Amino acid sequence: MGRSWASMVAFEAFLDDGGIVEVDDDMPDAYRQAVFAFIEMHANSELMGGLTERDWIPKTPGLRHKMAVLAKTQDEIGHGHLLYMVAADMGIKHRREMLEDLFAGRSRFHNVFHYRAKTWGDQVAISFLVDAAALATQQAVFKNCSYGPYRRILKRIITEEGFHMRMGEERMLLIAEGTEVQRALFQASLDDWWWPALQLFGPDSQPDDVLLRWHIKSERNEVLRARWVQKFAPLLISYGFTVPDPDLVHDPEAGTWTSGPIDWEPLRRTLAMGGPDSARRIADAAANWADTGWVREAMDHAPERAPGPAGAAV
Amino acid sequence: MTTVERVRTAIASVDDPEYPGISVVDLGLLETLDVTLDGHVVVGLIPTFSGCPALSMIANDVRAVVGSVDGVSSCDVRWLGAPAWTVDRVSDEARQAMAQEFTVAVRIGVEPVSCPRCGAPTTETSLFGPSRCRAVHSCPACSEVVEVMRSSSGGRA
Repeated sequence: MGRSWASMVAFEAFLDDGGIVEVDDDMPDAYRQAVFAFIEMHANSELMGGLTERDWIPKTPGLRHKMAVLAKTQDEIGHGHLLYMVAADMGIKHRREMLEDLFAGRSRFHNVFHYRAKTWGDQVAISFLVDAAALATQQAVFKNCSYGPYRRILKRIITEEGFHMRMGEERMLLIAEGTEVQRALFQASLDDWWWPALQLFGPDSQPDDVLLRWHIKSERNEVLRARWVQKFAPLLISYGFTVPDPDLVHDPEAGTWTSGPIDWEPLRRTLAMGGPDSARRIADAAANWADTGWVREAMDHAPERAPGPAGAAV
Repeated sequence: MTTVERVRTAIASVDDPEYPGISVVDLGLLETLDVTLDGHVVVGLIPTFSGCPALSMIANDVRAVVGSVDGVSSCDVRWLGAPAWTVDRVSDEARQAMAQEFTVAVRIGVEPVSCPRCGAPTTETSLFGPSRCRAVHSCPACSEVVEVMRSSSGGRA
């Protein structure tokens, strides 16, 4: 057993001093629960995101982009794998329980995966806008995260997500310099995905948010969200696209871009598994889990593999 | 410095897109380098595995830095089909940096993998990590989740 703290006050003082909690520490239950729930949702989102990418492997235009989507699928599933290991080590749920909860619609994943990517334009908008939003939230956690095992995994995840964002920028530039039909396709996707991407940051952080107090998040939701609008609104406009926010305010003096009022009802619906594509997504993931049951069955009963370089082919 | 040396130094400044701070030369991607008398450069790189999505990004980055070297008139970057990349090509410095910065171990042959955090031998949980060149291990001593870089050509590592 690692370290322990006499009281919550002592524990919070440790965190405020920049202390890092490790898995064998006797951390307060509330902290353990909060960190676990956060990592579980991140893991679920990586897995649901990976399944969406997988759906696009056969439909992605061009060999080079197809290769990138293949690799991105492996990235997302791999991130989910790492995160489920870190979450399971916290001793609250086994990995299999987390997966079963996800496929039964009992646990949460990011709002953006409750919508359907219908066209290649949607995929471009997702990799350009949503990947950047997800990366910004992960960077804000990594910067100051008090839970050591998560912080170390995040460092690797962030470098790969940064790479996805570069791919998204490349795709966006390609479609922006394309034909009128391609540009119209992308504009339609922007109209559909701008608000879900913006809502990924969540409503304004509450003053008593334990994720901030316990140094799991380092920045308030509204700050991250505003920074994202500040970057992407002028960028899209400079390429001749329209941001689907009639109340977007540009202050040329201060150089700022501020979004209009945000309707949080769509986000609330996704949290309750009532998003436009929630039911199909969860059913798809559950069917995939059922279809691959024989692999788990075989692995559970497999003899130990002999060590050495001549083992199973991959 | 000769033009070849300047070009080599320039290539060594290109980082792998998935490992900021670790150069493509330290990862062992640079295989051949030819400079003609009139300053035409041909760089031969080998990929860690053929489906790597970073290939065009790396080639663009290399072309950009080489193109701005004094004495270079043009630059071609080619991905070579042989020899196959293996983890033996990763430099000791890169190995240390990967362990320290990214908790990624590099496995050589059949040697057990040491946990980058506590040094204990790790156990493999999955051959498949977030990339084809990495497996996932965990450390029985400190519970760390460790990624292990492996050769894609040699089966398990």
